[in-house]
Amino acid sequence: MSQTRVVAAVEIGTSKIAVLLGEIVGDSGLNIIGHSVGTSKGVKKGEITDLDKASDCVHATILKAEQNAQSRVDEVYLAQTGRHLIGNFNVGSSNVSSPDGVVRRVDMDAAKEDAKRRTLPRARTYIHHIQNPFSLDGRPVENPLSKEGRQLQVGYWSVHGDSEVVSDSLRVIRGIDLDVSDIIISSIASGAVLLEESEKENGALVIDMGGGTTDYVLYRKGYIVKTGVVPVGGDHITNDLSIGLRVARKSAEEFKLKNGRAYYQTEDRDEKVWLFGDLTIGDREYPLAAITKIIEARVFEVFDMIKEQLEVAKIFVPGDIASGVVLTGGSSRLAGMAEAAQRQFGLNARVSEGPSDVAEELRAPEYSTTLGLLHYALTGQEESQQPAKPSGILRKLTGFLNFD
Amino acid sequence: MDTTADTLFSRRAAQGDLKIKIIGVGGAGTNAVDGLKLDDLGDVRLAAINTDAQALNQSPLAEKLIIGRSVTRGLGAGGELEIGKAAAESDRDAIARLIGDMDLIILVVGLGGGTGSAAAQVVAELAAKTDALVLAFATLPFSFEGARRKRIAEESIGDLRQLVHGLIPLPNDVLLQEGEEDTSVLNAFAVADRWIGRGVNSLCAMLLKTGLINQDFSSLRSVFQDRGGKTIFGTGTATGGDYVKDALEDLFICPLLHLGDRPAQLDRILVNVIGGTDLGIAKVNEIMTQVAKRFGSREDIVFGAVIDESRSQSLELCILGKAEMDAVAAPAPEPAAKKTITTGLGLETEISQDNQFSKPVHRSKLPGKKKQPDVNQDEFTFIDNDAQRGYFEKTDRNEYNDEDLDVPTFMRRGIKIKIK
Repeated sequence: MSQTRVVAAVEIGTSKIAVLLGEIVGDSGLNIIGHSVGTSKGVKKGEITDLDKASDCVHATILKAEQNAQSRVDEVYLAQTGRHLIGNFNVGSSNVSSPDGVVRRVDMDAAKEDAKRRTLPRARTYIHHIQNPFSLDGRPVENPLSKEGRQLQVGYWSVHGDSEVVSDSLRVIRGIDLDVSDIIISSIASGAVLLEESEKENGALVIDMGGGTTDYVLYRKGYIVKTGVVPVGGDHITNDLSIGLRVARKSAEEFKLKNGRAYYQTEDRDEKVWLFGDLTIGDREYPLAAITKIIEARVFEVFDMIKEQLEVAKIFVPGDIASGVVLTGGSSRLAGMAEAAQRQFGLNARVSEGPSDVAEELRAPEYSTTLGLLHYALTGQEESQQPAKPSGILRKLTGFLNFD
Repeated sequence: MDTTADTLFSRRAAQGDLKIKIIGVGGAGTNAVDGLKLDDLGDVRLAAINTDAQALNQSPLAEKLIIGRSVTRGLGAGGELEIGKAAAESDRDAIARLIGDMDLIILVVGLGGGTGSAAAQVVAELAAKTDALVLAFATLPFSFEGARRKRIAEESIGDLRQLVHGLIPLPNDVLLQEGEEDTSVLNAFAVADRWIGRGVNSLCAMLLKTGLINQDFSSLRSVFQDRGGKTIFGTGTATGGDYVKDALEDLFICPLLHLGDRPAQLDRILVNVIGGTDLGIAKVNEIMTQVAKRFGSREDIVFGAVIDESRSQSLELCILGKAEMDAVAAPAPEPAAKKTITTGLGLETEISQDNQFSKPVHRSKLPGKKKQPDVNQDEFTFIDNDAQRGYFEKTDRNEYNDEDLDVPTFMRRGIKIKIK
């Protein structure tokens, strides 16, 4: 008889908390049995600024999901974002050691270890080591085992975060006596479920624009070659509108949802929109151009920053991103986002409709990260017998998911 | 606005014994004060202090002081804070003589450069030693002027604030929003000067002109009792049509009033109205009601109303307010010095009776009582060097390539947003 455990996928976002409950049966089947989205407080730009407030919100949302599922959570998979996340591409190498020049397992392990041995400064913690393809004497090889050559190399995209920030989010979960089985960065989680395998092969850029941050992941030839966090999200658009239009934050948010568009067009000059639209005192008209120009400046800037980061890493190669840009996250609901992305990146762009293999209510952008967490809860399980290396409070967490 | 600028100093001071001096410090400060200069100055004296002799020579101002000749040989500070500082220190006596014995000193300075940023502190420090009330208008550099100037400006504004009674920061990024759609960068600098002009203008007009509701110097002092603290400043103008409503709207959307966090407590606000001969007491009353509703209770507000005969169907509103630094975050403590002001207006009783163009003046006792501000004043905000970040004011800076991403992109890029 196979064992059943209930996994909670938790994303502590800047504007909302998303929780998905999955029941994992044995080591292959997963049923989503509960879900809940709650308002988030005490989080800004993806990082917890008020532990108590954030904890209360997270606990309430998990509780609601438990009630929804009529089940208790056994373990938690947690998403992580924030500007503290930094990625590096490290290449490890080893010399083929056997006299006949044939690659053995030990050579592959040595190359991997070499790539991952870069030590971090104090107060930094590795979250992921994501393996990229091997190359043998400079030629890429999918599986070098038993192939002939002299030098074996392997690249890793390694992501590390601020230990303090990471443990803050762990504390929130521990506050209700739950264990965090693993932490996965938001972009990787979203990307995992929003892209088809063929899209990962062809290359795709997934951009998850939430309330406080914009997370992205670039797939090339099926591998994650870069992730990143731009600490700017929908909150910034609202703030820009509030300052630019000189209206209260609440009105700015309404303008954004009701009249906002990610890009400006000349016709906006002649169109006016009402602040309240209810003929009350204090109601006034604003040119639509003011709203769309403010938003355009911000959205284009975020896209340009991502493009620049890819260009600096010399991986912005349109031919290698044939499946184009896939947008998700709450801010992807903003009108004109796909067009804006298309214009700034010069690539095809679309707003994701969510994974097709889940219930319709779970296809909303709110759930893409948590769906990704469940995906890794299921698949990571099979590969989780990696030796855990880092020490300290996070020892249990890192190294579990090595993506190799 | 231009009407008032032209006529500001054209009348002799009603209160002849009030001594006001406006001092421009550094290149930008001098330029701004140059712009104020008109033929008949009355009792308002204009002066300039700079390290750059050549620039100063071109200024038409009567009273000019080159500082730090021994340090810079008259060549300017070249954006170096240390040079500006040394220059000012070397001429402390001359600066003190230029400050003289005044009732009100208004410093005008552009922060971010060498002379303005450093010398303004020395000037403020020396002015503080006199009995004068010292106010300062300080422009903050555009984002596109670079991170270095921004940093210098931010450092100096903190020090300057402690030395003066009221410091009005004018972030250029924000002021640019008020220019015409295609204002060039050069014109953008002139926009800041116009704002300073509006503020100085309104202040002097209030103190020197005969008013519908006169405010004298003691009212101004009552607003700026202590040094330090945060100062708010905003203006609104309108001509023709429903100019009362339009001017109020213009004031309420003044960009300087829409930055940063909402204060928990305001000490006092001064509101000045400049109108033409058609400005009756009924209109003034309407303005006061609206302003009070927006910015707090009437008791916290000192109103002044001035008639400018050259105006008609036009209105200029100006508000100046003050709160202690710590009052912004925590529930406000009682202000240190409670002072009874001698002028003010008891509105309901005195105003409603007539609608004539009465020039004479109501005077009444107004207790300097503190009240909790109206909870509904959600548009009321403070500005500071940090305040362009709005909602993110309390969070860590979001530095990226020397820019703070929390500051709206359109402001950092100098994109103009027209909202009317």
